[in-house]
Amino acid sequence: MWDLFISLMINILLYIYNLIGQNFGWAIIIFTILTRVVLYPLTARQMKSSKGMQELQESKKWKDIQEKYKGDKEKLSQKQIEIYKEMGINPLGSCLPTLLQFPIIIGLYQAIIRTLAVTPLQLVNLSKHITDGANLIPINNHFLWMELSNPERLQIFGFGVPVLAIIVAITSYLQSKMITTTTGSGGNDQSAQMNKMMQLYMPLFMGYLALTYASGLAVYFVASNLASIGQYALMGQVDLKKLIPSKLLPSKSSQNAPKK
Amino acid sequence: MKKNLFLILVVLVLALTLSSCSGRTLTASGWSGLTADEETAYLAAGPQIYAINLKNGSLKWVYPAEATNGISFYADPVLTEDGQLIIGGYDGVLYSLDPANGSENWVYEKATSQYVGSPLVTSEGIFAPSADNNIYAVSLQGEELWEPFSTEDPVWAQPCTIEGSDYIYVASMDHKVYAINSKTGAKVWETEDLGGPIVSAPAIDNNVLYVSTFANEVLAIDIETHSILWQFQVQDWAWASPAVDGDLLYVSDLAGGFYALNKETGDQLWQIIPGGGIVSAPLIVDENIYFGTAEGSFIVVDADGNIQQNTPLEGKLYSHIVATENVILVAPSENENALLIGFDPSGIQKWSFAPEK
Repeated sequence: MWDLFISLMINILLYIYNLIGQNFGWAIIIFTILTRVVLYPLTARQMKSSKGMQELQESKKWKDIQEKYKGDKEKLSQKQIEIYKEMGINPLGSCLPTLLQFPIIIGLYQAIIRTLAVTPLQLVNLSKHITDGANLIPINNHFLWMELSNPERLQIFGFGVPVLAIIVAITSYLQSKMITTTTGSGGNDQSAQMNKMMQLYMPLFMGYLALTYASGLAVYFVASNLASIGQYALMGQVDLKKLIPSKLLPSKSSQNAPKK
Repeated sequence: MKKNLFLILVVLVLALTLSSCSGRTLTASGWSGLTADEETAYLAAGPQIYAINLKNGSLKWVYPAEATNGISFYADPVLTEDGQLIIGGYDGVLYSLDPANGSENWVYEKATSQYVGSPLVTSEGIFAPSADNNIYAVSLQGEELWEPFSTEDPVWAQPCTIEGSDYIYVASMDHKVYAINSKTGAKVWETEDLGGPIVSAPAIDNNVLYVSTFANEVLAIDIETHSILWQFQVQDWAWASPAVDGDLLYVSDLAGGFYALNKETGDQLWQIIPGGGIVSAPLIVDENIYFGTAEGSFIVVDADGNIQQNTPLEGKLYSHIVATENVILVAPSENENALLIGFDPSGIQKWSFAPEK
């Protein structure tokens, strides 16, 4: 089943590659954007649920029951479920679309890697997925200054600089910073801390992958991050203020303080 | 503290999940290369080359002594008449070793990508195909003979020639076959686009080249006119080199079809589908034809297409089968217990070889 799904993705990728004049870098970018468009309904649902949850957690009613039943976890969760039902919110509503997107994103990721086959075993495996298009093999893996099947380095004054890995880390950071929904004061401290840690570790981890693995993946990461930011921006969900450290922002109390 | 531990675990699990999908394999990227003389088998199996005693499967020497990150070997080694063992590495280096003890004679380091195919060795020199799109020509002492000949895509197929000819024939993944002057490196002719990549050496017989392509075809090409004499359609990519035996031509495909054709006309005489894709050329010894399949079957058929023997082995059989006077050598991939198995001519296993862990 999974193999059939990967085969479908590989053949779509090859179709795009052929359609745009056999440039695999652009094929990756276009396929990534198309995937985002296809996944739009799921993303929109996820966002709606997240927003609902956020509003709920900032509501007085929610804070009141947190306070009232803070010593009785069982009772607290029972009351929370009642509020969910009352307000028509599914607490898993924001997770489920994400979980559904995950296999598609992993599939796209695998399709790119498998299509960039450069060794005999990889090519034998690729042959099991291609229905038509042997004339497109071997894939032209040159894109800008990169060979998409090798890790990327741009030679600057004799030094190999991993430009794309740096761009991947920066765009991953921007993406996570700009589109992560903030948990209000009624939110869970543990998940807030987890979000913070992920915002820091994930860009580093993605940058490490881009540094080490085929640059075709790095192109996918950058395209995916930018497409994601663009998509959220179109839905009015990007908050540029989140890029500025809170310490540098004037606090509400100082804004309200009388001028001397 | 507990929270931090949990987060570190989450990141680690994520890292492992994504890494496993990233295509960077810790396992082999090819299958073993193999050749043999009367006493010794030379097996290029990933990070090392093993010289194995044909009598009992014991190890004679290994090169390099310790596996080194970034160096691996999958092309078939080639024995030269002046007593060298030539092999191309995935590190883009062409090595000459002493077959007696594995010591290094010389290395040639001009290629910028891996050697997937074996070099052709003639009295004129060594002609090595590289994945950097070039054919490198070096003398038997490792000195460059002429500037590399470039094609448009990687060259995985071993070049071929006719004894006494001044030309070598090179099949490239750019869908073409080239005739090159072996003394100067100048192009003599090239074919039209044959519809798909060619990754295996053409068979050559009576001034005809037989070529397998990924366009699901086997073609016969006249060497004099470089025109196509006939085309034979198979069911999937034709990966393995064709093999000529008398009036017959044996060809195969990745769908597992094995065919006998009339070499003059390309007409099919018989076909068998034992199961599992076929990537290596068949070996013909007397009346028997030997080949392996991706499902791990070691097959022996006669010239009429009757299966004489079908031995299932652990792993996959991608490497071609090699025979000496007393031993038939099979090198399975993905086999936990053996890199090389020696059978006697009646098909009974004599020994197996696996390096010490």
